[in-house]
Amino acid sequence: MTNGQPTPFPGQSDKIVQVDNLSKKYGENVAVNGISFSLTKGEVFAFLGPNGAGKTTTVEILECLRNPTGGQANVLGYDVSKRSDQAEIRKRIGVLPQDFNAIDRLTVRENINYFGAMFKRQLDADKLIELVDLKDKRDEQFKSLSGGLKQRVGLAVSLVNDPDVVFLDEPTTGLDPRARRDVWGVVERLKSQGKTVFLTTHYMDEAEYLADIVSIIDHGQIIASGTPDQLIDAHGGKKTLIIRDAGQEGLKQLPPGLPKAELRNAGDIAVPLNNGELTSILMSLGTTPLHDKEIEVRRPTLDDVFLNLTGRRVSEEGN
Amino acid sequence: MRSRIYTIISGHFKSWYRSKSNIFWTIAFPLLLIVLFGAIFGNGSTKFDLYVQNQDLVANAPTSLSQGYVNNLTSTGAFSIHVVAAEQTDPITYIKNDAQLHNRGQRLLVIPLGFQTTLNTTHQAKIQLYMDQSDQASASLAGIVNAATVSYAARLSPTADNVSVQQVGIVTRNIRYIDFFIPGVIGMTLLTTGVFGAVNTNGRYRELKIIKKLATTPLSKIEWILGMVGYQMILATISLVVILFFGYAIFGVTATIDLYTVGLVVAAALLFPGIGMVLANFVKEAESADAAANAITFPMMFLAGTFWPRETLPDIMKIIANFMPLTYVNDGLRDALIYAEPAQALTNTIIALGLAAFFIVLGSVLMNWKEE
Ligand SMILES: Nc1ncnc2c1ncn2[C@@H]1O[C@H](COP(=O)(O)OP(=O)(O)OP(=O)(O)O)[C@@H](O)[C@H]1O
Ligand SMILES: [Mg+2]
Repeated sequence: MTNGQPTPFPGQSDKIVQVDNLSKKYGENVAVNGISFSLTKGEVFAFLGPNGAGKTTTVEILECLRNPTGGQANVLGYDVSKRSDQAEIRKRIGVLPQDFNAIDRLTVRENINYFGAMFKRQLDADKLIELVDLKDKRDEQFKSLSGGLKQRVGLAVSLVNDPDVVFLDEPTTGLDPRARRDVWGVVERLKSQGKTVFLTTHYMDEAEYLADIVSIIDHGQIIASGTPDQLIDAHGGKKTLIIRDAGQEGLKQLPPGLPKAELRNAGDIAVPLNNGELTSILMSLGTTPLHDKEIEVRRPTLDDVFLNLTGRRVSEEGN
Repeated sequence: MRSRIYTIISGHFKSWYRSKSNIFWTIAFPLLLIVLFGAIFGNGSTKFDLYVQNQDLVANAPTSLSQGYVNNLTSTGAFSIHVVAAEQTDPITYIKNDAQLHNRGQRLLVIPLGFQTTLNTTHQAKIQLYMDQSDQASASLAGIVNAATVSYAARLSPTADNVSVQQVGIVTRNIRYIDFFIPGVIGMTLLTTGVFGAVNTNGRYRELKIIKKLATTPLSKIEWILGMVGYQMILATISLVVILFFGYAIFGVTATIDLYTVGLVVAAALLFPGIGMVLANFVKEAESADAAANAITFPMMFLAGTFWPRETLPDIMKIIANFMPLTYVNDGLRDALIYAEPAQALTNTIIALGLAAFFIVLGSVLMNWKEE
């Protein structure tokens, strides 16, 4: 249904974003290489990938900031490549650019109203301030806020026009763990309000925690898509049994038949688990000196998915 | 819904007045310069400059009556008297040059040869006072000279009306250094606030992704630029008013604000931000753009005759000055505000507006609103 005609929403389709075979070249450099995906209304969609994967390029094409060099992209039924459609898209989307800062010497409230004034449809600043939990900071100048609070102002600013879809480009990069949690909280609130959210990140845990659908992008190509569970089931590999603090000693005390067991950081022993093996391994452990060690089963994460798919870890490149 | 352009103007304006360093550079610094340069080069005394040539000599010494007259003038305390030697055959030309050199008023009082003899015989002695009618001090100065003369005559003889002052008009350009300097400071302030303002809003706002964010809203590039120019006009008007008021309050500089002044302020509010935008587009990084702005504004300030008349520059520099946009703003402001030279003011205003149109259009075309 990518006929480029503004389609009435909802009804005919609840595809908020529809991307088909989209490409973007910068000279010789192919930043986005024929990707396709779609976002359904009310969904939190995470675009997960390392630095330079093509996340920002893709989002900014959807925001009508960059022109695609190939393929099709529709946002809210409007074609991002058509000038007249772009005007309609701009009215209806909310954007938090990567590394966004609001205006230093305006207060939180003034900033929200400043960006709000660019739209015909403008939400009440106080409501947004409440949503991002900045009530006691609302008359403080932006420059005096900490990084986490600044990012929450950015979130509020991205919502001023009550958008039908919100694009958040790496909303938690560079934040400390607590501030990241706060941002997550805001995204969860948006989700509970039924907003459609397009999020980019190179944090696996973030995608896993927030997203309904994750697309993993690497070198401009989508290498896997699905719910976090689907991705982990399909590409995460085996579960692992962890025996805490067993050390080199413990390795020798293992019952026979566990050749793949290995020692990991801080002396934990990791044993890859095949399906149905858990009970028998536990029972054989009960007869060894390791029986009183703390034991847990670790499920693979999106980190493992990425590692298995690319042979690299995102965190090695991510920052 | 408030207008988008209004929002941009008020955003810039709030950011401006909430920054101490902005206030310093746009208001305090120009005033400081005026005080400093005014004190160094200006005429600090509140007395009227008056050149006096006493031609009534006998055996190379002033006659007692003519000397008495000069002493009487001095004792009023109203004049700063500068003596012109009696041998000076063209005293008017002499005092015009000398006054300009020392930033003094160009007024000459001549006591003619035979002053004492005439007083003693016909009682009809005459004193000549050469002054420019457009000299703002002329009325009060003539008044004091007349009063002093009457009191002197009365002392000689209570009944007779024996000394009269003949006023002779001369044409001078009675411009003090400070009168020259004030429009220059205005030009300089418009230059720096315009160039740096644009570099800041188009360089730094780009780095902070504010421009990117705005480009995803219905705001257009033209509205953004209009907002910036509107803000610059407000700032330029504030600078002009504050500096002129200050110049008047401290140094008695009286300026006429006319249509050319308005035209020049409009031109400056387009021209200098236009130059800043062109710069910001060639030098992407905000910090280097700032350095580039410094590299452009400082030489321009000196060459365009902000601090000293361009006549004092070497020939080659004079030629370069013709290519400096600030030259036309400075000259135009001087013509309009101080010299009352409407024809020249018009020429300079037209040139400034032309340059303004060129640079603002170039800056706008070069500016990337979306893709970078
Ligand atoms: N304006 C541009 N001109 C030229 N090349 C660009 C431009 N923007 C991005 N690229 C290149 O395109 C590729 C994808 O960049 P992009 O910014 O989309 O990645 P990203 O996934 O957002 O990375 P990050 O996590 O660092 O934000 C990179 O190789 C980058 O160098
Ligand atoms: Mg990016």
